[in-house]
Amino acid sequence: MDPECSRLLPALCAVLADPRQPVADDTCLEKLLDWFTTVTAAGSSLLLLQENPCLVELLFRVLKSQDLSSRILSFSLRLAGIFAAQEDCFQYLQQGELLPMLFGEVGPLGGAAWTAPAVRSGWIQGLRTLAQHPSALRFLAACGAVDTIFSLQGDSSLFVASAAGQLLVHILDLAMRGPARGRCSPQACDWPACAQKIVCHIEDSLCSIATPQVTQALNVLTTVFGHCRGLWTQGLWVRLSPLVARLLEKDPVPASHSLVDLLLSVARSSVPSSDRGLWETLAQTLSHLSPTQAGPLALGILKLQDCPQALRTQAFGILLQPLACVLEAAAQAPGPPGLLGGAAGDPMTADTLLCSKSACVGLLCCALTHLGLLQPLPQRPSPWPQAPLLGAAVTVLRLCSGSVAPTSDVGGRLCAILVGCGRVQRAALDFLGALSQGAGPQESVTQVFSVLLEYLMSPESSSMVLKKAFQATLRWLLSSPKTPGCCDLDPRTQLFLRELLPVLQKRLCSPCWEVRDSGLEFLTQMTRHCGGQAGFRQALLASEVPELTKQLLQDPESYVRASAVTATGQLSSWALLAAPASPERPGAQQKSLLVELLHVLCADSEGFPRRAVMQVFTEWLRDGHADVAEDPERFVARVLQAASRDPDWEVRAQGLELALVFLGQLLGPRGSHCPCAVALPETAPPGTLAQALPEAAPPGTLAQALQVLCRVQLFEFAFRALFDCDRPVAQKSCDLLLFLRAKAAPCGSPQEAGDSPNVASVEATLQRWQAGEQGQPLGYLEPGAVMAVLRSIDLEGLRDTLAESSDHVEKSPQSLLQDMLAAVGVLGENEADCY
Amino acid sequence: MPEIRVTPLGAGQDVGRSCILVSIAGKNVMLDCGMHMGFSDDRRFPDFSYITRSGRLTDFLDCVIISHFHLDHCGALPYFSEMVGYDGPIYMTQPTQAICPILLEDYRKIAVDKKGEANFFTSQMIKDCMKKVVAVHLHQTVQVDDELEIKAYYAGHVLGAAMFQIKVGSESVVYTGDYNMTPDRHLGAAWIDKCRPNLLITESTYATTIRDSKRCRERDFLKKVLIPVFALGRAQELCILLETFWERMDLKAPIYFSTGLTEKANHYYKLFIPWTNQKIRKTFVQRNMFEFKHIKAFDRAFADSPGPMVVFATPGMLHAGQSLQIFRKWAGNEKNMVIMPGYCVQGTVGHKILSGQRKLEMEGRQVLEVKMQVEYMSFSAHADAKGIMQLVGQAEPENVLLVHGEAKKMEFLKQKIEQEFRVSCYMPANGETVTLPTSPSIPVGVSLGLLKREMAQGLLPDAKKPRLLHGTLIMKDSNFRLVSSEQALKELGLAEHQLRFTCRVHLHDTRKEQETAVRVYSHLKSVLKDHCVQHLPDGSVTVESILIQAAAHSEDPGTKVLLVSWTYQDEELGSYLTSLLKKGLPQAS
Repeated sequence: MDPECSRLLPALCAVLADPRQPVADDTCLEKLLDWFTTVTAAGSSLLLLQENPCLVELLFRVLKSQDLSSRILSFSLRLAGIFAAQEDCFQYLQQGELLPMLFGEVGPLGGAAWTAPAVRSGWIQGLRTLAQHPSALRFLAACGAVDTIFSLQGDSSLFVASAAGQLLVHILDLAMRGPARGRCSPQACDWPACAQKIVCHIEDSLCSIATPQVTQALNVLTTVFGHCRGLWTQGLWVRLSPLVARLLEKDPVPASHSLVDLLLSVARSSVPSSDRGLWETLAQTLSHLSPTQAGPLALGILKLQDCPQALRTQAFGILLQPLACVLEAAAQAPGPPGLLGGAAGDPMTADTLLCSKSACVGLLCCALTHLGLLQPLPQRPSPWPQAPLLGAAVTVLRLCSGSVAPTSDVGGRLCAILVGCGRVQRAALDFLGALSQGAGPQESVTQVFSVLLEYLMSPESSSMVLKKAFQATLRWLLSSPKTPGCCDLDPRTQLFLRELLPVLQKRLCSPCWEVRDSGLEFLTQMTRHCGGQAGFRQALLASEVPELTKQLLQDPESYVRASAVTATGQLSSWALLAAPASPERPGAQQKSLLVELLHVLCADSEGFPRRAVMQVFTEWLRDGHADVAEDPERFVARVLQAASRDPDWEVRAQGLELALVFLGQLLGPRGSHCPCAVALPETAPPGTLAQALPEAAPPGTLAQALQVLCRVQLFEFAFRALFDCDRPVAQKSCDLLLFLRAKAAPCGSPQEAGDSPNVASVEATLQRWQAGEQGQPLGYLEPGAVMAVLRSIDLEGLRDTLAESSDHVEKSPQSLLQDMLAAVGVLGENEADCY
Repeated sequence: MPEIRVTPLGAGQDVGRSCILVSIAGKNVMLDCGMHMGFSDDRRFPDFSYITRSGRLTDFLDCVIISHFHLDHCGALPYFSEMVGYDGPIYMTQPTQAICPILLEDYRKIAVDKKGEANFFTSQMIKDCMKKVVAVHLHQTVQVDDELEIKAYYAGHVLGAAMFQIKVGSESVVYTGDYNMTPDRHLGAAWIDKCRPNLLITESTYATTIRDSKRCRERDFLKKVLIPVFALGRAQELCILLETFWERMDLKAPIYFSTGLTEKANHYYKLFIPWTNQKIRKTFVQRNMFEFKHIKAFDRAFADSPGPMVVFATPGMLHAGQSLQIFRKWAGNEKNMVIMPGYCVQGTVGHKILSGQRKLEMEGRQVLEVKMQVEYMSFSAHADAKGIMQLVGQAEPENVLLVHGEAKKMEFLKQKIEQEFRVSCYMPANGETVTLPTSPSIPVGVSLGLLKREMAQGLLPDAKKPRLLHGTLIMKDSNFRLVSSEQALKELGLAEHQLRFTCRVHLHDTRKEQETAVRVYSHLKSVLKDHCVQHLPDGSVTVESILIQAAAHSEDPGTKVLLVSWTYQDEELGSYLTSLLKKGLPQAS
């Protein structure tokens, strides 16, 4: 422990044990416990207590105190647990009888303080930390803690009840972890007494007629099979599985959710290798549970790596049932075999779907989500009924929009339940999007496009539904097959695009900003992936979408402006922003976009659009956008000038990113020997440049490059950023300057640099900047002076300082102890009144 | 038994991250989704794994409601919706929807910038989260689904803060969020109608405080100083305060506000002018109170200018960025002053100087000596004990539940509420569940025909003397109606079936069945003079709807069995007759 902390500790312990002193807030106590955990993990707890007797004294004083706050008591219990986790320290505390007084009947357990959930929670957490060695087990048995933990499983506080269950598992695991316990027989007589007690309690609970007790037992077992790896768990399952199976005989099955969790936990453990009866239990459970309860179990079974085919088929059938019922209900006439090979939908599922709106919505949403999660997995059932599933998703969406009117009675009722239901719409659109990863018959894909278009056009679609519809559309468009022999979209997709763009146009004018934004995000993604495809270009240029997108740069909502910036940037990169420019004024339209984006960067009051502009500009520079390539120097100078004044640190940081790209182009990326000759360079991954030092550049070209950098005032920008009050900016600038210095290292000699007249003035200005006075500009810099200054700054030292989070001093234990001590007495004055 | 269940995951006996789960008539609602700024690990967010052990959050929760934009009420929202995976609707007022992302973005920047946290929600996540928001207007009833409806009431506190009524059928809960019962310079007082909810969940930050006069505090406010603030919220109250004071005293010293923020604040206050107090709304046409004459945008260079000035800078706890930078520059001069207008978490420079520390260790082992004066002036706008009592009186709830306060203070207020209003008051700790049984009242419409028939019987309705009304209850399309049996049969197209009660009475009588029947007839005729007693040709006897048939006993020829049956309308008479016959027939004279 830090000597300063050791010095502060006695005073702090005195304050904590004094009921008259208001204690600092809970966060301080939590942080104090974190610190003790770190200290004891690094060294001997016994030594710590011996060197700091105030700690044991604190625990004794807490026990003696009558009116101590529950949180200090809770803190002390947890603290004692941390110390007693090491066996020698445990013995030390035992000698003073401190542990029974804290955790036994005579302690808080029997007092009024026990009514506070914080104390009960502290008691459990203390024991949880303490229970690490055989002595602890004996202690738990001797002080009767296990019985208390049993009762705490039903505690009024969810936190306490849950922690009690976790503690039981921990104790059981600890008891069974002995050296000779490799393979335990299921016979209780072979097990340690403590484990026997817990297992008997679990058995009793499983036989209980009270559902909460059954739930507790099942939850404990779920954790056992999820976390404990010993072979004894197999014996445990052999012993308990008949009791678990007996739960299935009850109607309704009690604690079904917990039962499902347990069975899946067992199935994922090593048990199935020894007990094939588990599959039988799983099959029985699937058939006993209601469709809603069985869904999660079915999904869990299908996710298992290794399980019998018959069980998988049964599970898949359960997931498909709700959609099969929907298809059956909506069918105008008996059709070809559907989802379940033509078999009728299960009457129980149909009943659930029709009994109430909430049951129907719940079941359908679960089925759609489960199937959507299953779709991308390698272990998904094969064959995967892609076409019927597409049909089902489309049917569900049509029932929700009211665009189909089933003639059957059941269909009509289903339609009445689902029409306008946003929850099902959202789940179905997500599912439809997930299905885009598989191929489908042409007819199905046409239906998909048609229903997506219907949703995108519908005035009834909410903004969230529209967002999901755009996302699903994007996934389908990107996965649509290309015309054989060329990389363009197939005719059907092109046709769909032509219908889609007017809808997008309309949505870009929506009064709802969420919709405009979702539309722009869709357009950006489409352009990014399909900007080079003739079909897409043709359709887009024939529409008013590019013009509208540009207009949205003036949107009142900053999110939309930012998305419009990204979208126009992307359109412009693919020369899609306007009709082809006339031969007299090539690129005139796009030039005006550059000006417009520069205006956004300088004038927009919100950070999002300005950040978006910086990202677009960086991309333009990296990809050699035509407008930038015309005069990159001027471009960079203007952008850096604007970025350096920006109040948003992310804009300034992005400015450094752009500067790095420019540097790479001038001096060549890592490993390049030919600076200045790089017109469209491949860039090094950002942020990695400083770590992997680049090779030096030849002196002649370097001098020219430095001249350019000076002209665009990159150094002024970078030096200012080096002393930025926002750490990421300073860090990025440091990386950039290190990269530059390494590139130029062998070129400039100290003499050259020393000759430069304004080195001293630059250094003086930088010192003032470092002190926070950034008013004065650097003015024009000579390359020689820059290099000299670069060599004189301790960039490595600065980098190390910046690598630490800026609150590392405040986060230190010393700071914590000081703060807690300083807060004594002033807490009452400056009462925590929140915000 | 229907019940309302409330479990705070945060704000239960503490002022931390508000997050309260309410289960009402089968619907599950999460009230607020706050974060704790005192932690920088997972503990800053509520433990959402306790919401449900079974299934997905989106399937379990019907909606999330956010009361206002403060981070201890909405800071965990992007984490909850984009990282934990809640995909359902989120409700908040329009100003909250507009301002929430600004504060979330501010906090994200600090977490990433200052602490270098990588696993934090991104700007895109904040935006995606805000897209799930459904904005609600004050006093507008919003149907979350067919059964669940919510309604927002004005809460004062900060721009856009609202109290929410959550209603399913006849059961309802009101959640206040943070509120202020006294108007201030730019916001009005909280108000709710007499909605008589089953439960009122109220904040209790100032459960034991009676506010001192504001005037007294304002007089202290005379120095030229640094005021660290959060971008939006109470900062605007302070701005108006200073602006008015500068105007009145004709002061010349400049007041600065972090660049961009004044414009931003202006924009939102203009946009949501109906949410401000009456005075501001009235004068808005002539003069926008938020277009300050004396408050100008701050530039980094101004900090070095000589002469007095007041600077509002972010963030509010002096833990990073501009406010910390200016503080470091000014700390060494005893003529300067820093005013902390709100709570600061441990570890921040704000917390340190408020607790009196004057030598602060900064990066690189530098020690900053704080010579400047340090003042704390709370400008937070919570209802005090009087205000809370006033709100309870306004809403007239059946039960009260206290959150967002300290246990000891809550205990005091709880007793006060129970004594004064004679209602139960609860104060669960985090993780504890309060269960309230409810008796749902089910409205039933009575058909006019049925009422007219009752009136025709001559008795006028009397509120003090309720009387029985017989009819058939029809439940159709979630509506209940009481109609006459005839009308019910007609409406539902059903045939009438009669239910008859039967009873066997054994009589010792050696005569033939027909003779026994005659004796029964004579006996009843003599006893029941007001009733129509008939002897039918088939030998049976009737009294109104009651039918009596005599039969021989299969085993004992000396005993006759009387088979008595009657409809439910004549149940009383039927019971009387059976008991009469059981006494036996009079001996033949």
